[in-house]
Amino acid sequence: MATRWPGATPYSPIPAAKNLPGGGTGQERERKVVSKGNQQYPPLRALQASAVLRRASDEHKKEPLASSSQQHFDSPPAGHQPEQKPQGPHPSYTGQGGQESEDYESEEQLQHRILTAALEFVPEHGWTAEAIAEGAKTLGLSVAAAGMFRSDGSELILHFVSECNSKLSELLQKEQKLVQLGEAEKKPIDEFLRDAVEARLRMLIPYIEKWPQALSILLLPRNIPSSLNLLTSMIDDIWHYAGDQSTDFNWYTRRAVLTGIYNTTELVMMQDSSPGFEDTWRFLGNRVADAMAMSSTASQVQSTGEAVVQGLMGAAVTIKNLAGLNQRR
Amino acid sequence: AAPGSVPGRSNRSAVPGPSPVGGTGARLAAGPEMHFGFQTVTEEERREKIYQVFENVAKKYDVMNDSMTLGIHRVWKDILVHKMNPCPGTLLLDVAGGTGDIAFRFINYVRSVRQRQLQRKLKHHQNLSWQEIFESYQKDEFNSLGDSQVVVCDINREMLKVGKQKAEHLGYSEGLSWVLGNAEELPFDDDKFDVYTIAFGIRNVTRIDLALQEAYRVLKPGGRFLCLEFSHVSNPLLSRLYDLYSFQVIPVLGEVIAGDWRSYQYLVESIRQFPPQEELKVMIEDAGFFKVDYENLNFGIVAIHSGFKL
Repeated sequence: MATRWPGATPYSPIPAAKNLPGGGTGQERERKVVSKGNQQYPPLRALQASAVLRRASDEHKKEPLASSSQQHFDSPPAGHQPEQKPQGPHPSYTGQGGQESEDYESEEQLQHRILTAALEFVPEHGWTAEAIAEGAKTLGLSVAAAGMFRSDGSELILHFVSECNSKLSELLQKEQKLVQLGEAEKKPIDEFLRDAVEARLRMLIPYIEKWPQALSILLLPRNIPSSLNLLTSMIDDIWHYAGDQSTDFNWYTRRAVLTGIYNTTELVMMQDSSPGFEDTWRFLGNRVADAMAMSSTASQVQSTGEAVVQGLMGAAVTIKNLAGLNQRR
Repeated sequence: AAPGSVPGRSNRSAVPGPSPVGGTGARLAAGPEMHFGFQTVTEEERREKIYQVFENVAKKYDVMNDSMTLGIHRVWKDILVHKMNPCPGTLLLDVAGGTGDIAFRFINYVRSVRQRQLQRKLKHHQNLSWQEIFESYQKDEFNSLGDSQVVVCDINREMLKVGKQKAEHLGYSEGLSWVLGNAEELPFDDDKFDVYTIAFGIRNVTRIDLALQEAYRVLKPGGRFLCLEFSHVSNPLLSRLYDLYSFQVIPVLGEVIAGDWRSYQYLVESIRQFPPQEELKVMIEDAGFFKVDYENLNFGIVAIHSGFKL
C-alpha cells in the first residue's frame, strides 16, 4: 500500500521496563535461562500460570475426557500445577512440539487478553487501573496484574482504539469484497466516507459516558504520539478503501479534511442527547457535503481565475491594437 | 567497591569476603561459606549473626532509619506503595516487614481508595432516602478496607514485637496479621497472595534464590513481587560521597544513638555485598517472574524491583 502513512503499526502495549535490553514494542522476549552473560535475544519463555488457567477454563468447556491431565483440574485450577516441570521455568521454544506452542502465550498476548476483558468494566469504573484489575480478576488472575500497565489507564484506551480501528478495517474490507464480486453497488465517495465515519463512531456508543475522559487522557503529551499514530492510520485506511490513489498534494489535503470531519463529529457526539444520535449523523452528513463542495469550489475558483487572467490579457491586446501600438513599422 | 579499598576498616579484624560479583550460587558452590558484611562465615553462622543484629537493633530500628537516611526512607517506602497502587480487596504479604512500615502505608492507601469508591457509589445514589443510606452503611459495603488484608512476616521475634506495639500505638488493628516465619521457607500455602513485598529485607536473607522461589510459590497467578533494597550507585562522584557517608558516618551514628557500632557496620558492609540491579533482575527472572524491571531511586542508592507471576 504505497499511500500508507509512515510508521503506521497496530498498537501494542508499551513494555513497562525502560531498561529491558533488546526489548521493543511488539517484539517477543526470549532469554537463556542459565547464563547471565549475553542477554541480547533470550529464547521465548512460557507464561505458565496464565497458560494453566486458560487451559483449565478451556477444558471445563469441553467434554471431560479420560486423559491424565484432566485429573489435575479437579482441584481449583489456580492451585496446583503438577504437570509443569518441577524445576521451574524451562525455555520453551515455539518450534518444539506443536502441542506445546498453543498452550503458551507471550506477555503481549496476555496483556491483550486482560485489556479486552477489562473493557466490560469501563462503563462502571471508567478508564482506570480499577477496570483493568476487574478484567484481570475475570481471567482468574490476581488484581495485582493491573500493575503491569500504567496507572492512568491510557493503555486500556489505546488498546480499545486499536481494536475499533481493526474492526473498521475488517468492515471496509468486507464491503470492498462484495463490490468486487459484483454483489453490491460501488458507493459514491461522500456516501462512503459518511458510512465509514458513522460505523467507526458507533463503536463508541457503549462507552459514550466515559469517552470524554478517554479523549482527555489521549491528549496528554505522553500519549499524543501513540494516539496520533492510531488516528492517522485509521483515516488512511478509510481513504484507501474509498479508492484514493493520489500521489500529489491532494493526498495530504484529503487526509487533513477527513481528520477534521472525524474529530469534529466525535466532539458533537459527546454532547449529543438526541435519540439514536440523529443530530450527530446529520452534522456528519453536512460536513461531508461541505468537503465535497469545497473541492469542486476549489477547482471552479482555479478555472475562474484562469479565465479572468485570459480575459484581461485579451483586453490588453485589444487596447494595444486600438491604440496602434501593435503595428510594425 | 572492592573491600580492600574501603577506608575506615583498618581497625576491624574482618577478613575480606569473596568477590561481591558472581551471585550467591557461585559462593555456595565453593563451600558453605557466605559473606556476613565483609567477613566470611558459614550459612548457619550467618543466619545466627543476622538474627542477633536485628535483635539488638529492634528497639531503635525506626530511629536509626530516620537518622541514617535523614528521613528519606519514608519517601522510598511511600513510592513503593504508590507503585503497588493496591485496590481494595488486595491481599499483601510483607516479608521481613518487622516494624510494619509498609503494612501501615498499605492500609492507609487502601483506606483512602476505598473512601473514594464509596463516595462515588453514593453520588450515583442521589435519590436515596436517609433510611436507605443508613442501611447501605450497615451492609458490608461500609467495610472501610474493602476486605484488604496485610500479613507481616518476619523471622525475628523482637522486630515483630516492636511492630505490634507500634500498631497498637498508632491505632492499626483491622486487616493486619503478624506471623513469625523465614523468607526461605514461608509458612503459607501456594497461590495465596496478590502482592509480595520485601523492603530492605532481602539483603539479609541467606539464600536469596530460595526466598525468590518461595515468593513465586505463595503468589497467585498474576500476583506481583516488589522488592525495595539498597543497590548500586553507578555515578562515580556520587558513589564516592555515598561510600564516605556510609563508612564514616553511619557506624558512628549507630554507636551514638543505638549503642551498637558492629550492627551498623554490618549493615553498611552488607549493602556493598548485595548484587547490583541487573544481577538481581536476572535472579528474579530465574525464579520464574515475568516483566521484571527495576526503578532506581536517588541515582541507585535504592532500587525497586518488580516482577509478575504470569
